[in-house]
Amino acid sequence: MSGLDPFVVEVIRHGLSAAAEEMSLVMTRSARSPLLREAGDLSSAITDAEGGLAGQGKDIPIHMGAMAYAIPELLKLKPLAAMREGDALIFNIGKLGGNHLNDVKVARPVFVDGRVVAWAISLAHWPDVGGTWPGSYLVNAVDSFQEAIRIPPVLLATAEGVQRGVMDMILSNVRDPVACEGDMLAQLASTRAAEKRIREMCAQYGTETFLAALKRLHDLSEAEMREAIRDLPDGVYEGEDFLDEGGPDGAPARIHVRIEIKGDEALFDLSGSCDRVANFCNMTPYIARSAVAYGARVLSGRDMQQNAGALRPLTIITRPGSILEPGFDAPVAAGNHETSMRIVDAMFKAMEGVIPERLTAGGAATSGLLNFCEPRKGLPWRMLYEVHGGGEGARIDRDGVSATRVLLTNTSNTPTEMIETNYAIRVERQAIRRGSGGAGAHRGGDGVVRRYRILAPEMWLTACLERSKVPPFGLQGGEPGLPFRLTLLRDGVETQLDGKLNMLLRQDDVLTLESAGGGGYGVAH
Amino acid sequence: MKDTPLQTRLWDIGTDIGGTFTDILAVHTETGATRIAKVPSRPDAPVRAMLEAIAAVGLAEPDVRRFIHGTTRVTNALVEGRLPKVALIATEGFEDVLEIGRYRRTELYRLDVPPKAPPLVPPALCFGLRERLDHTGAVLQPLTEAEIARCVEWVKASGAKSVGICLLHAYANPVHEKQLMEALAPHVPHLCVSHEVNPEAREYERASSTAFNAAAMPVAVDYLTELEEKLPLGPGLQVFHSAGAMVPVPAVKRRPLVMAMSGPAAGVSASARIARTLNRPRVLTFDMGGTTTDVCLIVDGVAEMTDTRMMGGRPLRQPMLAVHSIGAGGGSIVKLGSGGLSVGPESAGSEPGPACYGRGGTRPTITDANAVLGYLDPEAKLGDTIQLDVAAARAVIAPIAEKLGLPIEDTALGIIRVANAAMARALRRVTVERGVDGRDCTLLAFGGGGPMHAVGLADLYGLNEIIVPAASSAFSALGCLTADFSVLQQRTIRMPLDGFPAEAFAARVAEMEAEASEPLIANGIPAAEIGMEHTALMRYDAQSDAIPVPFAMPLDPDALRTAFHARHQELFGYATAEPVVIESLRIQARRPSSTPVARPDVGRPAKPERMRECVFQQGRLLTPILPRETLTGTVAGPAIIEDAWSTVIVPPGWRARDDDIGNLFLTRSDA
Repeated sequence: MSGLDPFVVEVIRHGLSAAAEEMSLVMTRSARSPLLREAGDLSSAITDAEGGLAGQGKDIPIHMGAMAYAIPELLKLKPLAAMREGDALIFNIGKLGGNHLNDVKVARPVFVDGRVVAWAISLAHWPDVGGTWPGSYLVNAVDSFQEAIRIPPVLLATAEGVQRGVMDMILSNVRDPVACEGDMLAQLASTRAAEKRIREMCAQYGTETFLAALKRLHDLSEAEMREAIRDLPDGVYEGEDFLDEGGPDGAPARIHVRIEIKGDEALFDLSGSCDRVANFCNMTPYIARSAVAYGARVLSGRDMQQNAGALRPLTIITRPGSILEPGFDAPVAAGNHETSMRIVDAMFKAMEGVIPERLTAGGAATSGLLNFCEPRKGLPWRMLYEVHGGGEGARIDRDGVSATRVLLTNTSNTPTEMIETNYAIRVERQAIRRGSGGAGAHRGGDGVVRRYRILAPEMWLTACLERSKVPPFGLQGGEPGLPFRLTLLRDGVETQLDGKLNMLLRQDDVLTLESAGGGGYGVAH
Repeated sequence: MKDTPLQTRLWDIGTDIGGTFTDILAVHTETGATRIAKVPSRPDAPVRAMLEAIAAVGLAEPDVRRFIHGTTRVTNALVEGRLPKVALIATEGFEDVLEIGRYRRTELYRLDVPPKAPPLVPPALCFGLRERLDHTGAVLQPLTEAEIARCVEWVKASGAKSVGICLLHAYANPVHEKQLMEALAPHVPHLCVSHEVNPEAREYERASSTAFNAAAMPVAVDYLTELEEKLPLGPGLQVFHSAGAMVPVPAVKRRPLVMAMSGPAAGVSASARIARTLNRPRVLTFDMGGTTTDVCLIVDGVAEMTDTRMMGGRPLRQPMLAVHSIGAGGGSIVKLGSGGLSVGPESAGSEPGPACYGRGGTRPTITDANAVLGYLDPEAKLGDTIQLDVAAARAVIAPIAEKLGLPIEDTALGIIRVANAAMARALRRVTVERGVDGRDCTLLAFGGGGPMHAVGLADLYGLNEIIVPAASSAFSALGCLTADFSVLQQRTIRMPLDGFPAEAFAARVAEMEAEASEPLIANGIPAAEIGMEHTALMRYDAQSDAIPVPFAMPLDPDALRTAFHARHQELFGYATAEPVVIESLRIQARRPSSTPVARPDVGRPAKPERMRECVFQQGRLLTPILPRETLTGTVAGPAIIEDAWSTVIVPPGWRARDDDIGNLFLTRSDA
């Protein structure tokens, strides 16, 4: 066992998880934006000096996967030697392992005895990062520049303190600078908390032991992942899934995966996916890798530390010019949480003939987002970023659960009583959408219904729903669940709306969202 | 009580009724003499078990002046889902509130486990009531007589034994909940309303707490009524509540939810008293049992409080001691995968239990590692029935040792370290929440495993002092006796500090002080003996999480603002000039306990001093086994100090001394 005490490795693993959990706690307890403090749309990670993911909190899977690439890409632009103790960098551009511009990262190199031993990264979904549309989700954006402010890696703080010029530059470009400043301070505080813990561990076990333990943790996860892959029969498996729109003439857009299992390695070739689309459902290749890493982890059916080592046996290929590698200028706001889920669903379908007992049928795998933004002349915008869960797909041995989050997302709803206290909106109904789960030997879970009445003179709405045309799939003969449905009642007339849109609502408009039910599993008796 | 001469009632009794054992501790109110016993619990006949416990310390009902108990009875019934038929009444359109919840799941990478717990009340027993308020409490849709009648009919037809009512924005205006409660009272045995159970915004959390309370009422009321018959002590019969004090039985019948964390809270409360008596400003409690470990932080003699905890995957909101529980204890199973070595959360439970209990356990546990290291007495009979089987422990640890290429003893030492790392994470969590450096704390260890693991944990976490209190094995029972008599009120008030409404605030405080002291005065406590503690739960306007900041009346808003900024800085490392809001007000009425406690008599003869081979990090050492009862002066490690129910390990490099009431102090030898 090469001299490193296996128990110290485990103790350090606990220490890393505790430090990442502490980061998230600082965020949820001290951030300003409801999206962070109520919905918890944030993640915390600790990496080794080179950026290999080492520890994480119980946060959002899609964030975590992408953070594995943030520091390695950063170091291509700014070498480790250029970092100074006390530095904290802020960035959101796609090139740095980015997911979408709303997810802003603050990264702090952790120094011990003058050298970097680790990084602490706080990722937070900012409710607005400027750009054309409040909330920064522009459905038919032509390019990234229309979406939001693009922040390259710049110093937000140094040993001397917060860099006011940088902070003001950012605050001048967002629609709620007051909350945004508090959120940024919270992100800085959370990385400082991790720095303290990492230094304590280095002091207690010795820096060399700490570094060796990080390497060992990566090796252990790699071994576990290799073992999981070896359990699968060698072969080539293909699966596809579709986004509601984006294809030619508004047809569904195809996501395709070809999985090649060979011994203890797996190749995921996503080249067969469609070309770059003319809306915000493109995504960065890092998110494609993050989605595959998540899919591989859940399909392994094993409990392992999700770190850089677990990625080593996986080869992931995306095609330049495709929806999954569209170029730095492509709009990607929704691809982050919508297209990524289609990759996981395509992987599930590919494996249906091999490990059906490990799979869950399709569910409400989308952010289910409605973003309500109220302009207030001369004051910051008031923004409610509200996500909607739905039905979980059924499994071989149980029905799907109703009203939950599935796969890559894990954000919460905002309580009706908090919405009505803080926004010019009344929630008129909040119920289970009975009967929306697909039939089967086991039934899919049901979606939800939520009805909003607008009380302000003007409300800028963004909707971002997948599974509103292509329903959640059944498995092994199970029926699909009902798709999402969004309707507007205005002046007594009810209209069905597109699942993805930007529009202006006015006073007394009533918007009803019905979320998707999960797919069934097995043929219904 | 009236027909017995008062002077014969000379004993105060504290009991902690756990899942397996009932601990009892009796104190003579004049001499301070103390007796301890442990008897098996009887989940099917809890009151009988209590009478047996009283008999076990040589007493009977007419000897008892006060009887205070903590019990997991309510918690267990709720967690295990053994519930009576409960109905929930919510605002129409929101009757699925429990099933919807907050969407969030706890297992991100596992598909096989359901993402969340099913609703406590099934959909068929949830009723939508036509009425509506807004967030200011204004009535948007009045509750009509016809609608009340429709609801009454539905409840009668539902067959529900207990009903919880949770209407939207009832925390802002309880008018409709009160109207409906009045109308339903004659038609259902048990009834509770959300504005009493949890008068705070957030409908799911409030509805969940209300449903929990409604579900607990039939169980609690039956049990407490039987107890009142068998132990007719009047106000002397008391229950320990989750916020760390005692409440009289009639108050508990209305809000049985206050018993939810009764047992762990009692241990913490006893710890707080020790922290005050021994003058330790920062104390971490460490209560390690068979399947869970509870930790709590005590600052300046006061245990930290929290508002929320999850019970069986569902939220419960009420002011409670901030006891953080993790699913690791002596029975936790140790696993070695290619991903590394892990401990828990799976447990061998009490059946079959650890392999060394010789009852068919085949998987290695933390207790087995302790047995391999020689820490457990191979001749002892646990609970008078279990004979320790060290060979069985070695046999289950051996495969792990083989895989790691290590001797069995080194593997066992490693397992203990990994288990301690999980415990350290729990300690970290509670200190971080309060913004204190854990390494300045004294560790107070009790419960079956606490004193065994304390030094390892202290070494890992950098703590310098451990206290194993007298009566450590019946510590929660002791907590029941020494706790203060207190009632706590908490309400959402949402008052800004800018343009502070001083008069309205003072009126609110006075109102809540009266509510909090009323149950104490009703129990015969003179108003003059009741002290008041005030806490403001504060936040920046744009935040949602509020930080507790104590204050005195009359309130100085500027001083309060300064104190808030300082606490925010301490917790999060920054403070800003944003507007500040008092979100809620917490008022605690308190009367200190007057029960004196002397060195306990465990009622068993002390075993003579012996020697045994034990394994420490330093190797295999011949170790003296010392009876705790006869310990005097300072003992240098290695040593094992035993009493009838607990084992204190003093490894090399540490030493132990006791004080005159039986507390043990462990410190490093070089300190």
